[in-house]
This record gives sequence, C-alpha cells and structure tokens, in this order.
Amino acid sequence: MSIMDQNGGSVIAMVGKDCVAIASDLRLGNEALAVSSNFQKIFPITDRIYLGLPGLATDVTTLKERFRFRVNMYTIKEEREIEPETFAHLVSSTLYEHRFGPYYVEPVMAGISKTPSGGFKPFIAATDLIGCLNYAKDFVVAGTASSKLYGVAEGLWEPDLEPEDLFETISQTIMNALDRDAYSGWGCIVHVLTKDKVITRTLKARMD
Amino acid sequence: MNTLVQRFSTTSAQSEINKAKALAADDQDFDDFAWGSEAGFGTIAKGVPTFSLPAVPDPRAFLRLHTDDHADPNCRIKIQHGTTTLAFRFKGGVIVAVDSRATAGSYIASGTVKKVIEINPYLLGTMAGGAADCQFWETYLGMHCRLHELRNRERISVSAASKYLSNLVYNYKGMGLSMGTMICGWDKTGPSVFYVDSDGTRLKGNLFSVGSGSTHAYGVLDQGYHWDLSDEDAQELGRRSIYAAGHRDAYSGNTCNLYHIKEDGWHFIGNYDISKMHYEGPGNVPGSENVGYGYDVRVVGRSSANPPPSAPTPVVAA
Amino acid sequence: MTSVFSPPGFNFSNQSRNDFIAEKGIPMPKATSTGTTIVGCLFADGIVLGADTRATEGDIVADKNCEKIHYITESIRCCGAGTAADTEFTTALISSNMELHALSTGRKPRVVTAMTMLKQMLFRHHGNIGAALVLGGVDATGPHLFTVAPHGSTDKLPYVTMGSGSLAAMAVFESSWKPNMSRDDALQLVKDAISAGIFNDLGSGSNVDACIITASHTEMLRNVEMPNQRVEKERQYRFARGTTAWKSEEIRKLVVSEEVILLAGGDEMDTT
Repeated sequence: MSIMDQNGGSVIAMVGKDCVAIASDLRLGNEALAVSSNFQKIFPITDRIYLGLPGLATDVTTLKERFRFRVNMYTIKEEREIEPETFAHLVSSTLYEHRFGPYYVEPVMAGISKTPSGGFKPFIAATDLIGCLNYAKDFVVAGTASSKLYGVAEGLWEPDLEPEDLFETISQTIMNALDRDAYSGWGCIVHVLTKDKVITRTLKARMD
Repeated sequence: MNTLVQRFSTTSAQSEINKAKALAADDQDFDDFAWGSEAGFGTIAKGVPTFSLPAVPDPRAFLRLHTDDHADPNCRIKIQHGTTTLAFRFKGGVIVAVDSRATAGSYIASGTVKKVIEINPYLLGTMAGGAADCQFWETYLGMHCRLHELRNRERISVSAASKYLSNLVYNYKGMGLSMGTMICGWDKTGPSVFYVDSDGTRLKGNLFSVGSGSTHAYGVLDQGYHWDLSDEDAQELGRRSIYAAGHRDAYSGNTCNLYHIKEDGWHFIGNYDISKMHYEGPGNVPGSENVGYGYDVRVVGRSSANPPPSAPTPVVAA
Repeated sequence: MTSVFSPPGFNFSNQSRNDFIAEKGIPMPKATSTGTTIVGCLFADGIVLGADTRATEGDIVADKNCEKIHYITESIRCCGAGTAADTEFTTALISSNMELHALSTGRKPRVVTAMTMLKQMLFRHHGNIGAALVLGGVDATGPHLFTVAPHGSTDKLPYVTMGSGSLAAMAVFESSWKPNMSRDDALQLVKDAISAGIFNDLGSGSNVDACIITASHTEMLRNVEMPNQRVEKERQYRFARGTTAWKSEEIRKLVVSEEVILLAGGDEMDTT
C-alpha cells in the first residue's frame, strides 16, 4: 500500500463555458477505517481560485497553511490578488523545493483568470507530488480514485457546458468513480466557479 | 539428431502433439460419467480431491509469494480479502447476514457478490477470504452432506458437517487456502453456528462475525444481542450490524443479504442497499423503525449543532 | 516559527520522515515522467529538434499534449525526457542563468555554455535529478547539438535521440540522415523519427512538436503533426438538470450590489 492511500481521498476539476468546477470526496480514513465524513480537501485561495489537495492528510493540512502564508505574502508585496496561472507556479515551485523529501499530495487547481482585455477565462491545472505542472483544456484528476476518474471523465466530459450542466457532469463523474474506489467516498462536495458567483453544493452520495 | 531435437524441444509442433497426448492420458484417468454425475468433483470415489501443484521445489513458498499481498504488494493473484459476514443463534433460529462488496486492492471489483453459500435447504455457509476456496469446498461439503443422508437415512448435524469441512481444509494447511466461514443450520439439537477457517480452527458459539468489518459489526451485535430476541428484532439486528460495518469499513459495503434459518430450513429475508439504509432505513420491513441509520440522519434537528437543512431550491443557471 | 526568508535550493525538511516511511517498506509514490521520444539533427542551415507530447504516471497517460521542447534562449532550445518536474525546473533554471549571463557579458550566449551549466548541475546531484536532455542551438560558432544524460555526461553528434522511444527514432535517423540536408527534408526526417517513437513505443504518443533553429530565426512548430486526434462524439452524454441529488447549497456572490438610501432631508450639512 502506498503512503498516498493512507487517508484516501480524490479531487477532480473540469472546464465549462466561462466557468470551472472542482469536486472532491469528504472521507478521511486510516487505511480501511473511515474516521471522518467531513474532511475538506478543497480550499478557497482567492474569490476566484480553489485548490484541491488529495493525499496524506498531515501534508494536506500543512500545505494548506503554507499556501495561505505564501499567497498572503504575495498579496502584500504586489498589492493585488494573485492570478490562477501565478498561483499554479507558486504551488509548483513550493513542491519542487521539496524534490528530495516531497509532500505526499497531488494538488488540483481551478480558477477563473482575468484577461488583459477585462474578460474572464477558465483555468485548471494539476501537479504531481514534486510539482510538475499539467495544464489541461478539459479536466484534471488526482487521488486514490484517479484511475477511475480518468475513465469516467473521458467518457462524460464535453466542451462548453453551462454552469448547471457542468455541475451535473462533474457530480456524476465523481460519484460514479467513487463507487468503484474503496478509499474515497463518504460524501461529496462540488464548487462551480463563474465570473460573478461560486455555487457550493454537498451531494447525496453513497455512505459505504 | 533431428528426431532427438524434436523429442526434447518445447516449442516444436511435435512437442505440442506430445503435450496434447499427455493431457489426453491424464483425462482418461477419470471416466466420462464422473464429470457429468459428480459435477466436476470427479475424484469423489477416491476420497479427498487432489490438485496439481506448481512444479517448483517448494510449492507452498511459491504460492505464498504469488498470492499473499503482505509478502509482495505487487503479487499477480489477488485474493478477495475485505468483507463483513455475521451469524448468530437465538431462540428463533439463526440469523445470517453478509455484505456484498468484493475488492482488489482499492478497486471495488463488484458490489453484488453473493457471500452466503446455500449448501442445502437447511445448511448455510458464509464466505470470507478466498471466494473460490469457499465456493468450491462448501459445494463439495454439500455433496458429502447428501451422501451422509443416503448412507444414514438422516440429515447430517451442523456439528458433523462443519467438522467434515475443518478436517478437509486442515489437510491443506499452509498451502495457501484462505477461508473464514460460518456453517449455520438447524438440526436435532436446534439452531447452531460453527466457525471454521483455513487454519483448521473450528469453534461452536452463539455469535460470530468474520472479515475486515467484523469489529464494526461486533460493536452493534454485542450491544443488541439477546437469546430471547423476537424474529423481527433479530433480523433488524443483523441488518443494522452489517450496515455499521459497511459504513465504516472501506472493504465492506454496497448491499446486505439477510437469511433466517428456522426449523424448516433457511429463508432468504431480503437484500438491502447500505446507502439507502443510511439515508432512509431498510424500507417497510418488520422490526425496523424505517428511519435512516446514519448518524447525521438521526441527529438532524435535535440540537443547534445539527440544524435541519434549509430546503434545497433548484437554482436557474446564471 | 516559519521564517519569511528561505534559503535558495532544495529543502530537505521532510527527508527524515519520508525515510522512516520508506523503511517500513511503503513504496515511494510515482512522479510524472515523460516516457518520451526526443530527437535532434543537424541540417544545412542549423538544427531541428523534435519531441512527442505524452506525459505518463505509471501506466496512465497524465497529459496527452504536454510541451517537451523548453526555451533556453531565443536561439537555444532543449528537449527533456525523464522525470517531468526535473526537466521542467532544470531547463527553467539554466534558461534564467543564461539570460543573466547574456546581460552580464553583453553577448549572445553560446550553446556550449548552456551545455556546461546543465552538465555541471546534473553531475553535482549524482544523477538524482532525473533529466535526460537534447540540447540544440545556433550561436556565433555555428550550429551545435548535444545530449546530456542524468549523471552529467554529454555527447556531441550530428543526429541524436533520447528517451524510451530513442531506439525507434534512431532507426529512422540511421537509415535516412544525410549531411547538409535541406530544411524541409530535415523537418520531415524529424517528423518521421518522432512518429516512429509515437507509434512503436508505448511510453510515447499523441502529437509531434518540432523546432527549427537557424542563425537568423527560430521557429517553434507546436503540434506540427497530429496523427492521433480523437473523433468527435456523435451524440452526447449530457445529464438533465436535476439528475444529481444534493443535500445543501451555498451561493457566494462575487458581485456585490449596494443601494444607497438617503434619509429624508439628509443632504444638507448640519450647520446649527
């Protein structure tokens, strides 16, 4: 058993039409024993960036605080909110700094970035545990159910989904993938980010 | 020279023919009727079935290396390990309840596994450990129970049946068999439950639970168990125990299969979805209050820390 | 207390914990690697580099269209194979140092300079940085093509291949490369070499990227060939709205609308 499976948990992010969605399960386990059904793995970084951290729970908590610290320092120095692309590089370089003693997490980011012309552009990215960035135009996945999520998402995702349709697609993707993973589950949470609001919903998911 | 090469070559056409001949010769050891009349257990006349062993110096070490994922996490043969099964004896008979999940590592291979093996109309066996081992040996046990009936003109006792199984598996001790089972039934002595495993252990008792979720099931079972339980309450206890294990244990879940053994043999009570039991309860069944078993379902609205959810209203897309 | 200032370089604070985990026999999780086919060849006017676009995580394709030709300077580029994060950060660091070097010397930097920086960095880390590189470019001394192995050894050859698809690609080069090829012929040869990797090596796949570097101009040809396009779905798997049951909802509005209501007669300043 890998150390990444110790606590379980999975995250997925998807791109829609002028919107993005990010979803995770809510389980915290100790190997096979489920301990909590309300363990948040997705954290708001700014109003328009959400970060998912599946992996070893101790590192999830540590890195959440570390990123909060580094984003605050950025905001103070630059006197502006961090952009998703910049934040992705902040995550990447923080993890690569620990190349030879890594944190056991695989971050997934979703955000809406501002274009120079004042428009909004959806952004998603993921990195591996040592910070190799992976930008995608469709979806990114990570966690114990990642192989299952890849399969379902390849089948269900389609371009230019409206926020409400994207909610259905990401919810069905994560719930069906989780039904085939022993270490993820115990509830689901979905965030849909649009240019002027964030919709957060907890799903009625399987509890076994 | 050429013929010599051909005879000892392992890849030539001649060697393929030799292999086929050898296989055919093996087959002729069994009469054709053996396959038809003894349902594949062709060696019954000779006593215990025999198996071909891997052609290596130490077959036990070989098997362990390739089947035990503690010895080698990347072993090719994955044996189903996680499960929750329970059986208990009470005044109204025996309750047998199991989950239905099969896992291979973190992958949930199936959610609809039948883990109760119906040996005959008054004997049930449960399945934990290797699915194939349990299925094969308990079916084999069924044949011998029938032979016992024909020879002795009476049904085999649960005690004798379970002892037959435990002696059988003891012959293969250390060779990689993996089973933890409960043989349950009703005989002259009334309801009885025996625990038998592949180490050769055989125990008589009122109440057993086997599998990775057994500790969770015991928690509910011990707390609610009583000899004088009514039929309905006993069935509810079985369901509730499997729910608890399915909820907490990663390797157990999906659905619960419930059986009740009475004097006239076993009865299948029902199949219950564990998530449905969490949110809504097992449905309108005797013994159940028909409310969700889930903690958050039971405590909702009971304190300010658990306020009732605001009624969800569909939102029109922006 | 966490220091605001952290020293440059790698941080080993998790090492002892991770060694403890490793000692218990728990395997190290796998990082993204580029199974990869990367190539480079010399032609009449300069260098052509080529790469596939598949990134893998074990037996899973993590990225179907990643970029493996990294920028070093305007006329020097570097293809990376091996641990993806290592190729990414190593080339970025050397690119940064090359820019500083160019500014401090006031000259266009040479390919050997980049090669030396890369090999010294990789040698220093004893092969722990898993980057296998193909470095190519044109400088004042003409076109140059190098390979840099993870331990820091280098080769200078007219045509080179690296990564898990290197054998397939080298077979193409060995049979068809000629000195002083035209630009079009060289590009076609690189496309063929990468395609050989894409179709015959399981670690390589998807599209062909190429980069043509001459003394006067560098042309990055992203996805110059896309032989593995997925056909569009003929129908869709869209779910009707309301399919997914949910328990609770919270909507955070980012646009705050405020309304100012003036109290009656509140406009004037109180001068009593």
